[in-house]
Amino acid sequence: MGLGAAVLTPTQVKTANLIRQWISGFPGIQKQAVQQAFESASLPKIRRALRLLEELQEQRGPRLDVELLSTYNLEPLLPVLQLAMNCLPSRACPRLAPLNSIESHMAQPAQSQVRAVFGARMIIWRIEEVLPEALYPFSHGFPERLSASVDQLLERIERVVALHRRNSLGTPLFLSTMPLPVNLANPVAAAQHCAGPYASVSRVNQKIYEVAARGVGVHVLDLASWAAFEGEAHADAMVDFLARQPLSAKGQVSFAFFIARCLRSLVVPRRKVLALDLDNTLWGGVVGEDGVNGLKLGHEFPGNVHLRIQRELLELRHRGVLLVLLSKNNEADARQPFESLPSMILKWTDFAVRKINWNHKHENLREAARELGLGIDSFAFLDDSDYEREQMRQVMPEVLILNDSSDPLQTLRALWETDAFDSLVVTEEDRGRHRDYTLREAREVEGHQEDLEVFLKSLEMEAAIEEVGPSNMERVVTMLGKTNQFNLTTHRHSRRHVETMRASPGSIALALRLRDKFGDQGIIAVLLAVRGDNAATLVIDSFLVSCRALGRGVEDALWAAMLRRALRKDVQRVEAKYTPTAKNSIVAGLYDRLGLRRIRHNSGSTCYLLEPVTFVESPPWIPLKDENQ
Amino acid sequence: MNKNDPLLDLLLEFFDLPAGTRPENIRQQLLPSWDSLAMVQLITELERKFLVNFDIEEIQRLRSYHEIGDVLSRKAVSLKAPLVS
Repeated sequence: MGLGAAVLTPTQVKTANLIRQWISGFPGIQKQAVQQAFESASLPKIRRALRLLEELQEQRGPRLDVELLSTYNLEPLLPVLQLAMNCLPSRACPRLAPLNSIESHMAQPAQSQVRAVFGARMIIWRIEEVLPEALYPFSHGFPERLSASVDQLLERIERVVALHRRNSLGTPLFLSTMPLPVNLANPVAAAQHCAGPYASVSRVNQKIYEVAARGVGVHVLDLASWAAFEGEAHADAMVDFLARQPLSAKGQVSFAFFIARCLRSLVVPRRKVLALDLDNTLWGGVVGEDGVNGLKLGHEFPGNVHLRIQRELLELRHRGVLLVLLSKNNEADARQPFESLPSMILKWTDFAVRKINWNHKHENLREAARELGLGIDSFAFLDDSDYEREQMRQVMPEVLILNDSSDPLQTLRALWETDAFDSLVVTEEDRGRHRDYTLREAREVEGHQEDLEVFLKSLEMEAAIEEVGPSNMERVVTMLGKTNQFNLTTHRHSRRHVETMRASPGSIALALRLRDKFGDQGIIAVLLAVRGDNAATLVIDSFLVSCRALGRGVEDALWAAMLRRALRKDVQRVEAKYTPTAKNSIVAGLYDRLGLRRIRHNSGSTCYLLEPVTFVESPPWIPLKDENQ
Repeated sequence: MNKNDPLLDLLLEFFDLPAGTRPENIRQQLLPSWDSLAMVQLITELERKFLVNFDIEEIQRLRSYHEIGDVLSRKAVSLKAPLVS
């Protein structure tokens, strides 16, 4: 029953490494307490760490309420769940719904006083409770009747998601997959039939992946994969019988931190850029010294390790992580392998920015950040040189250093294990990000025209105005969570909050989709406004433009579209606010430029008023396409 | 800290009891916080700390400091030096 030994498994070592990064900003005493709690899995140590974290609560970020609905007993796990979630930069509060009450609990509408509205909801179930007959197929009409039972469970999964949609006001839903039963007689026979226990579990999990793939705001908590990585040691049959709690002591800790990692994507934006070097990373050897023919890259050891590193990097680039090359080399030398080494997977053009010179890497990184219009804290860094990593760590502590060794296999492991690029959703915008930045570079080269307006007109832009709704909600919430520079208030609203806001009477919630001669740039600006004290007053809650589209006047186009709608609603006053942050000085004078009047300063914010409200035109180089006008 | 009695230490810490609590007063009947949830957590904690597995009969006897000590002694656990912190 007990696991006991303080020796960490390989999976636990990986988790311990991640936790170390999560809590790197904690004071020493809290850091040590969390590490001890994790490594010992001791309840008193977990409680102690929690008490110490309580002291930091106010500094820890926004509140994150997590509702857990389960078919087995999570109550004994509550302290460790609390601890794991509080290692995120949020004041997380897990709450358990009554045991095995998924549908009845979810049927209560979110507005109901008996149930709070949550930042995330998780449904955690397992085959032992939801389809117990799968464990005993021959006692339950194998194969036909058992298959029919599985079909009923698949329908139940659909119903649960529909129920969540109806009553949750857009709260993200995590559906757990179901681990294979650990305690099952005759596993050989169990695997022999498509209606057997293993195949039945597989069908159920497939369904869960499918509903998550098609449902906005529905995500997978992949406990089946987690359990497979953990092995049988995560389970404890005795406590399962005793308290319907199936996890061992170590299993509980691992389970809790796995859940926290999945939630982390809701509160921590992923790193947008990976800056890396060439020699001994993309290939073995130093191109300037060994020459192209002396480099190790291919299907033989150790070139196959570098080949795999390149595959990982290419995958990241296609998922929307920009790659930046930082290499101390002569450019001609650095280009040569890209042009003549047949095994190269990455192309020269896969890098959004290339800085190949003899400058300090931190200087080149800063320059790359400026060119991309991104903050330094959007960067992760990979380099085989201890010196380069140490210098980056000291000069730019905001940059996340991924690897800690010059060994290429360790570099590869760092790419496998990092959570820096975790995301629950990979959007079309993410997938096209590299192209967008490449096009931007092309535009900037074309842009050496004396007359900016002539240049902007030459881009043949068109601003399509969309109401914020299900079709663009994912992107709008992502932008609210990530946009730092052109963002007047930096309100990090949840999906639920945006849903509520757009549904409120008198509100205006708009997204701007930009098209130009290079293609569809996607949603690049958002404006959310709500009714003020009376129907004649409109209050701008959020106004933001993606850094990909700065300097083209799209904000003027969106402002014009908003005013048209406001006038249609007989709005006579528009109130707005600029709240300065470390990154949004670019918009400090925006409302002045748009003709609003400063009326007061309030807790660091500048409040503006537009009265009377009059019609303004979109800039001549961005015609508005507004279907609701 | 009772250097010579790791079981007492564990129970004092687990139930958040004052250092001077007499061992014979550490009984489920006398501690309101020793409910069924605490029982499950305590079993996990004992197994983790003393590197043992309890069987069903033993679990039903884990109701006080003395009974736990007795079960652990029968499992040849040395209560002088725990293996895990």
